[in-house]
Parts: sequence; structure tokens; C-alpha cells
Amino acid sequence: MPRVLQPFEYLEPRSAAEATRILADYGTRAKAMAGGVDLLPRIRQRKICPEVIVSIQNIPGLDSIKEERGQLRIGALVTLHTAELDRLIKERYTALHEAVHHLASVQVKTMATLVGNLCVATPASDMAAALFVLGASLVVVSPDKERAIPIEQFFLKPGQTALQPGELVTEIVVPAPAPDSGSAFLKLVRTAADIAKVNAAVCLTVDGDACKEARIALGSVAPTTIRAPRAEAAIKGQKLTGDTIQAAARAAEAESRPITDVRSNADYRREMSGLLVGRAIKIAFQRARGQHE
Amino acid sequence: MSKQIVRLSVNGSNHELLLEPQMTLLQALRDELGLTGTKYGCGVCECGACTVLVDGKPVLACSILAISVRDKDILTIEGLAGNGNLHPIQQAFIDYGAIQCGFCTPGMILSSKALLDENPRPSRQEVKEWLAGNLCRCTGYVKIIEAVMAASETMVKGGSHGK
Ligand SMILES: Cc1cc2nc3c(=O)[nH]c(=O)nc-3n(C[C@H](O)[C@H](O)[C@H](O)COP(=O)(O)OP(=O)(O)OC[C@H]3O[C@@H](n4cnc5c(N)ncnc54)[C@H](O)[C@@H]3O)c2cc1C
Ligand code: FES
Ligand code: FES
Repeated sequence: MPRVLQPFEYLEPRSAAEATRILADYGTRAKAMAGGVDLLPRIRQRKICPEVIVSIQNIPGLDSIKEERGQLRIGALVTLHTAELDRLIKERYTALHEAVHHLASVQVKTMATLVGNLCVATPASDMAAALFVLGASLVVVSPDKERAIPIEQFFLKPGQTALQPGELVTEIVVPAPAPDSGSAFLKLVRTAADIAKVNAAVCLTVDGDACKEARIALGSVAPTTIRAPRAEAAIKGQKLTGDTIQAAARAAEAESRPITDVRSNADYRREMSGLLVGRAIKIAFQRARGQHE
Repeated sequence: MSKQIVRLSVNGSNHELLLEPQMTLLQALRDELGLTGTKYGCGVCECGACTVLVDGKPVLACSILAISVRDKDILTIEGLAGNGNLHPIQQAFIDYGAIQCGFCTPGMILSSKALLDENPRPSRQEVKEWLAGNLCRCTGYVKIIEAVMAASETMVKGGSHGK
């Protein structure tokens, strides 16, 4: 591995507006940097060679987690470590807490941001699976406008997001969990700090034994994180029993489109998609009922 | 690219360095300041050999730009012993045979320090989880975990004389 990084210019804008102007001016020659956990190793490996690094680390106001009008707002500089310790996320947005908790090492968590994780657009993103079922969206600013992108429309293919040159994500917005709902995240890995062979997130709203609403997402089994609509349909409006959960698990297997790579093979990933979805449904169900009682 | 004057505060001393922006904190420590305790393992956030503490938090010096941590408090393994006394974690690593080749040791000790500062009485499981980002090819980890548990005891009893 090369010991030195190729030269680049380094800029530290003091506002999101200034950052977007710089990013728009330089276009593909510039890269935004938050924690740098993904960006700097990529530069070291000579996979990318930006002329300008635009550090957003000194932009004020982007480092907080707050609840506003029932919505959770996570700024672009919130690190995984900060999110992991956040009580609100742990108590109410359980799938997100679990996704952060099981991710990487303490050092990576201290440096890396949630937004940076999403912008990398890896199909294995743990953040993405959890945020899919929690119905999150991203606030994106550019020199002349602001827009919201629902997370399900954010990923185009591995390594590619819907961001245009000059656009910066400033926040993740997560709606308040519905009453009588519960969520869970599960992940299968080779070793503790590794990225997923398969990950699954589930969010259920229940009415007694019945499932009123279901959102199920899978990661690492398709070019981007996916929802599993047929698995959701298998339990929505149904009593949650061994049989209906089994049907959802089988539907999830059929909806996964995995590949074989160094971490796992396609057949195993497909089978495990079903297994994780089944288990996550049971956990989310218990949590949703727990809240009800 | 243009060099800039960067002020780094390392182990309590201030240094003014003339650095190019692409210089990592690891290079600045090893090549500019001669602090070679911090190791270069993988260069890509995987091994933890380059772990240092910035404002008390464990980070990977291979993947941080020196310029981005100017004016922050950086602690490397060289700054841990105080007045010629080893820090209790360093002493425990020796007493428990937690060091073999030593390449992972500075990173292991600094990660452990960050843990014990945040959570003085961790369980074995918490120690394992916290050190998951520090790879060791020699010891098999058992003695390292024992050393951290022992250091926790010593420090809780008030035997901390490091920084
Ligand atoms: C050892 C290791 C293990 C890991 N394990 C996992 C895992 O198990 N699961 C998982 O999901 N991830 C895992 N990751 C990935 C890690 O979570 C991401 O690399 C990290 O979160 C990136 O965040 P960052 O702030 O460092 O981003 P940076 O490296 O700063 O940026 C990454 C990319 O996003 C862009 N970007 C950053 N912020 C913005 C913004 N606000 N607006 C627009 N673009 C932006 C940058 O231009 C760059 O292209 C692992 C990484 C490592 C090194
Ligand atoms: S050298 Fe920095 S993590 Fe391996
Ligand atoms: S003692 Fe050799 S790598 Fe840990």
C-alpha cells in the first residue's frame, strides 16, 4: 500500500452554502470529506485522485441529533459513535441503534459519519437497511436550492447516489415511529468488525397479534439496499404466526438477488436473507407488542 | 501543492510544522516529529496499528489529515508514561505478557486507555468489542484482554499515575 497520498488542494468552507459553491465550481475534480474513513483510503489505494478535498468538518450546525416536531434530525457531521450513545435513537429507533452498534471498530465509529456511510453507496450499508424501514429521507442542498430525497431513491447502483455535482447532504430526517410499532436490525458477518454478508431490517406496526404495517429491507443481496415488498405483503393484515412469518421469509429469499464474492456466495446469501428476515420479524413483533402493553 | 504552517499539539507540546495538505497525521508524527511509536500497518482503517487519541477519542492516524487536527490534543504512546512511571495499562501489558512482537501494542494500549477513561469497569465482553479494531497477529488476544481487565482494577483502586 502506498505510504503517501497524491497531492491535492484542501479547502475548509465555513458554511454549507460556501461548500456547495466550491463543489459546483470544481465539479468532478473535487470531493467532499466528512470523516474521511472511506475517502482517504480510496485516495491511498489510487482508486480516485481528486484535485481538491472540501472538508465539511468545520461547518457549524451539522453535528447535532435533535427531535423536532416529532421528527428525528441527524446532521451530516454526526459520527457513528455519537449516534450509538444517543438515548433517543436507542429507545425509539431501535433498528438504527442496532445497525450502528454492530458496525466496524470504535476508531471507525469515532471518525465516520452516518451521512458519509450513505454517500459511499455500498450495497452492504447497515445504515441504509435500517433507514429504509424507518422511512428516512435526506436533506440535500446545492448553491441554488434545497430538496429532500427519500432514502429509497438515493441509491442508483453500487458506488452511485442520486447526488448531482455541487450537492451536499446536510441532514437525515426520520419520521416519528408509529404507535404500537417496533423495529429490528440483524446482520451476518465473518468477524465482528466486518461488513455484512447479508443484513436485514424490519419495522412492524401491530394490532394485538396482527400486523398492520410492515416494512422489510435487505442489504448486500442486490446492487443497492432493497425493500422486500412480497415479504411485507405476506404478513401485512395477517396474524403473525409461525406460518405467516415463514411465508415472509421465503418471499424475502425469492426477492434477494445476491452475487458470490469474497464474503459469501449467492446461494448462502439467499437462504440467509430468509432466515434473518424471519428472525427480525419476531424481534420487531415483540418490541411492537412490548410498547403496546 | 502549497505548504501551510500547521500547529500540532502532541503529548502536551506544541509544534509548528510546514506541511502539505495531503500529509496524514501518521506521517507527521513519524516522519516530521520522529514519534515512531505509532505504527503504519494497513493504511486503510482496518488494523488499528496507527491508533492515537485526539481529544481523548481513539482515531486512525493513517486516515486523518494532519491539517485537520491542528489545535486539537493529540496523545501518542510516547506521551502516556508520566515522570518515568509507566501508565498502569503499559505495566499490565508487561506483567501479563500481552506483548510479543509489539507492533500492535501502542494502538492496543491507546484504545484501551480510551475505553477505561469512558468506562472504568468494563466487562470482558466490552473489552473485546472495544478492541475489535486492533488486530494482533501474535498473542491470540487472551493475554491482552487479561491485561486490560487488570489495568482496570489498578486504575479504579487509584493506581493511575499516567496522564
Ligand atoms: C474497517 C471498516 C469497517 C466498516 N464496516 C462497515 C459495516 O459493517 N457496515 C457499513 O455499513 N459500513 C461499514 N464501513 C463503512 C463506513 O461506515 C463508511 O466508510 C463511513 O461511514 C464513511 O463516513 P465518512 O464520514 O468517513 O465519509 P467520507 O470518507 O468523508 O466520505 C465518503 C464519501 O461520501 C461523500 N460525502 C461525505 N459526506 C457527504 C455529504 N454530507 N454530502 C455529500 N457527500 C458526502 C464523500 O465525498 C465521499 O465520496 C466500514 C468502514 C471501515 C473502514
Ligand atoms: S494503519 Fe491505520 S488502521 Fe491500519
Ligand atoms: S504482539 Fe505482534 S501483532 Fe500484537
